[in-house]
Amino acid sequence: MMIRGDSGYGPALPELNRRLRWVALGILIGFGFLIGRLWQLQVMRGDRYYARTMSNVVKERYLPSVRGKILDKNGVPLADNRPAFNIYATPRLLTPEVKAELERMLGLSEDEIRKIDERLAVGKKRDPRSPILVLEDQGRDRAALVEQARARLPGVEVHHEPYRYYPQGDLAAHLIGYMTQMTAEEADRLTAQGYDPSDLVGRYGLESAWENYLRGKRGVEHYAVDARGQRLDHETVAGLIQGERIIDPVPGANLILTLDVELQRIAEKAVSRVAAAAVVVVEVKTGRVRAIVSKPSFDPNVMTGHLTHAEYTLLMQDPRKPFIDKALRATYPPGSIFKFVTTLAALEDGQAAEDESMFCPGYYELSGTRFRCHGYHEKVDLLKAIKHSCDVYFWNLAQRIGLDRIADVARAYGLGAPTSLGLNGDAGGRIPTKAWYEQRGRYKVGYATNASIGQGDVEVTVMQMAMAYAALANGGKLFVPQVVERVESFEGRTIVSYQPKVAKTVKVPPDLVDVWNRGMWKVNNEPGGTAYEHGYSQVVTVAGKTGTAEVRKRYKDADHKDLEKWNPNASHAWFAGFAPADDPELAIVVLVEHGGSGGTVAWPIAERILAGYFTKLETGSTKNVPPPLIPKKGGKR
Amino acid sequence: MKGVGMMLPRATIGVSRWRRFRASIDWPLIITILILCGIGLLNLYSATRGVRHQAKFEAQMQWMVVGTIGFIVMTVIDYRTLVRLAWVGFTGGVLLIITARLLGSTGDEIHGVTYRWIRVAGVGLQPSEITKVMVILVLARIFSDPQEHNYTPRLLLMRLAILMIPIILIAKQPDLGTAVLVTLMVLTVGFIAMPNVWPMVYLTTAGLLAIPILWESMHEYQKNRVLAFVDCGWAPSKMCWHTQQSVFAVGSGKIWGKGYTGGTQNQFNFVPEHWTDFPYSVWAEEWGFVGSVGLLAVFAFLLIWILNIALSARDRMGAVICVGVAAMTFWHVLVNVAMVLGVAPVVGVTLPFISYGGSSLVTFFVAMGLVANVSLRKHGY
Repeated sequence: MMIRGDSGYGPALPELNRRLRWVALGILIGFGFLIGRLWQLQVMRGDRYYARTMSNVVKERYLPSVRGKILDKNGVPLADNRPAFNIYATPRLLTPEVKAELERMLGLSEDEIRKIDERLAVGKKRDPRSPILVLEDQGRDRAALVEQARARLPGVEVHHEPYRYYPQGDLAAHLIGYMTQMTAEEADRLTAQGYDPSDLVGRYGLESAWENYLRGKRGVEHYAVDARGQRLDHETVAGLIQGERIIDPVPGANLILTLDVELQRIAEKAVSRVAAAAVVVVEVKTGRVRAIVSKPSFDPNVMTGHLTHAEYTLLMQDPRKPFIDKALRATYPPGSIFKFVTTLAALEDGQAAEDESMFCPGYYELSGTRFRCHGYHEKVDLLKAIKHSCDVYFWNLAQRIGLDRIADVARAYGLGAPTSLGLNGDAGGRIPTKAWYEQRGRYKVGYATNASIGQGDVEVTVMQMAMAYAALANGGKLFVPQVVERVESFEGRTIVSYQPKVAKTVKVPPDLVDVWNRGMWKVNNEPGGTAYEHGYSQVVTVAGKTGTAEVRKRYKDADHKDLEKWNPNASHAWFAGFAPADDPELAIVVLVEHGGSGGTVAWPIAERILAGYFTKLETGSTKNVPPPLIPKKGGKR
Repeated sequence: MKGVGMMLPRATIGVSRWRRFRASIDWPLIITILILCGIGLLNLYSATRGVRHQAKFEAQMQWMVVGTIGFIVMTVIDYRTLVRLAWVGFTGGVLLIITARLLGSTGDEIHGVTYRWIRVAGVGLQPSEITKVMVILVLARIFSDPQEHNYTPRLLLMRLAILMIPIILIAKQPDLGTAVLVTLMVLTVGFIAMPNVWPMVYLTTAGLLAIPILWESMHEYQKNRVLAFVDCGWAPSKMCWHTQQSVFAVGSGKIWGKGYTGGTQNQFNFVPEHWTDFPYSVWAEEWGFVGSVGLLAVFAFLLIWILNIALSARDRMGAVICVGVAAMTFWHVLVNVAMVLGVAPVVGVTLPFISYGGSSLVTFFVAMGLVANVSLRKHGY
């Protein structure tokens, strides 16, 4: 092709001149389009995008509040906080490579990796751009590893946070309770109340029931990050964060309990040899709980965050049901310790007298059914009947007064109804009446016979019995059990102080109660008494009553052989009483679940607890110090 | 425009060549380029403020020096000579693209594994960039014939077939953005410079009908980008993240912007690689709607000025060169800004003089040198 230069005048490219309008239109459309889009983004939607970019950079982190402590009456911590290292990850930034790096660096186990995946999945759904707790309570070495490798681990953070721990281990575990991560539906509900979904919540015992006092108020920290999730220093971003950068958390309130850790320890030691038991020790004059045991127990430290699936399964499979509070939640037939109800009902109605004697041939016949007494007591009066726990005597009384009178008095003493402690289920139990039986079928006279000795369908909790025996000892005041003495703010200022609360006053005349109490004295202090025969306390005079509550034989013997000392066909062993007998201070109820006989099993435990308590008390006082170890007169037979 | 305001008739006696040369320099063009370079450096400084990228600012300044030399060289040599050598340059460009292919691949985060670069003494060059200038020269040569009857369909198809060679090679690098851009350039110049526009209409229609075939031959990541643009659900989240963060950045600038070096999206790297393909998002975030439109206005002025030079060019060849450079600039700005604004797929098309990167910068300096060349010789001394 020839290269032509047209040097003449006239447009060099006439096509351009001809099509200039179109060219201009093209440029106009192109730039107009861009400017229109700019207008849309920057002017119309500018504020929204501005907020969006700020949320890219400015993050919120909750500063966990320090949870309130739980202390015993002398200030010994039962639940406390220690520093722990928690590892957080931001789901959006945690690429598979970063995760692999983290796994490699820390040498994570299968279990831990699964846990991380689960938590990330939850976090991703909620807000993939805010960090979520993936590994809690890590050791100092792991924390240091992550801290050093921050540049290689975008989106991974380590925070130094208070962590719940229980310095006394499994001591009073059912009362104290434990904490766990919240479930999905709880997370929905509680985030509205200012919780962070990674927070632990009280799951059991006081930790759960007093959550609102204990949790305190969390703080907030605003900080800025770059696209890799790395924190930016405060100078760089000073202008970006509006308002307060840090709102300090408010620590939770401390609970001061009525519990006495030393007595609690004595009580737990006393039940160490039996498979399952419950003990409640209360102050008779106030209803304050001094010791409360439910065995088997668990370690709240393990339950709070560290429990593996295997451990959990093992605990759940235990036939003794470790997660049921045997002092508050579980109900049992009370057996002979219920006889005070029958006695007082009969005395009140004038259907019994202290000096009335009956003959116990070892059995009792009622409309063709023969009820067997546990012994052959011959001629017994009321006090002797109590002392020997002669069933025949009480069966006779029951026949005179009827089932509903027994139920009335039982109710008056708070049996068969929750104690209003509001903890761990606080069960009601059952005091059957005629109406109750008629509702479910036909009433038989034999039901009153059974109920009179605390068998049949009578079911109570250990705590109910403790409050009833305290009422026997204090002249009829039925207290609401109290475990929290006062609530203090973290600075030590008392927020609420709780006074003993009388639920109701029992109207049984004191002289009638005194008859029963004298019978109880004989149980512990006269040869032949069901307790005396198995040990006599030289430290303190005890008045009490043993009970051996038979259970329905539901299991073949072979079923639970694998667990030592656990025979679900054996009777429940009970002891209920108070000490000192002349001026009662403590009421105590001991239940050994499927433990056998009350006198041989439950009473020695109660004796050890009371001896421990009163030895300590005397040691601390100006009285002469008795030898710390008391040789038992009767010993175990 | 014939000498109006110009005190330099063709044969002024007693005035040296140098003074005539100096007086013919197209200052508006040069000043516009300087303004764009200034904005580019200003913006790059903000974009690379982090410790890791400070070397980029220095490198860009060095490339500007190289570009200036290219500009001067391209201005001084008569464009007619350059157009005469167009096919040689074109062949050279194609060979360089093939060389890049043979030298092996390079991979980077946004583009994946590609065959775009030639490394010479530690400096990466993209032959596809400079090939655009060669294509413009070839177009100038093709369309320099004013006779309508000389543009026979056969001849036209043959020429276009030859022009398709670099386009296909670039598409195979793979660099779909540049391939599409060169195609748009060729079509634009064709539409403006062909004496008879109908062959271009037929050709474009045929090309549009061929799109399904092209789609099938595209790479997975290219399809993903287009799909990501259509619907975020289609593509790996990274690509959507890119566009989304860019849109957030631009929008968050509002009317007046967040202030120089105050763009959080940019400063804290929420828009990845914002100095090469997304400098406009940095600019828009920090200078707002006012600054964004202002920058577009500068580009608009540049386009108008180049077209003005085309109108006053001495010959057809020079005018076509200007039209080619204007088309290249126009499509670069349109595609890049549309991509930043989230209305075009993410492709590797730079913003002239603003984007970081030697190849693109030098290419535009050279292209503008050609325009200055045409402007300088419009009086045909």
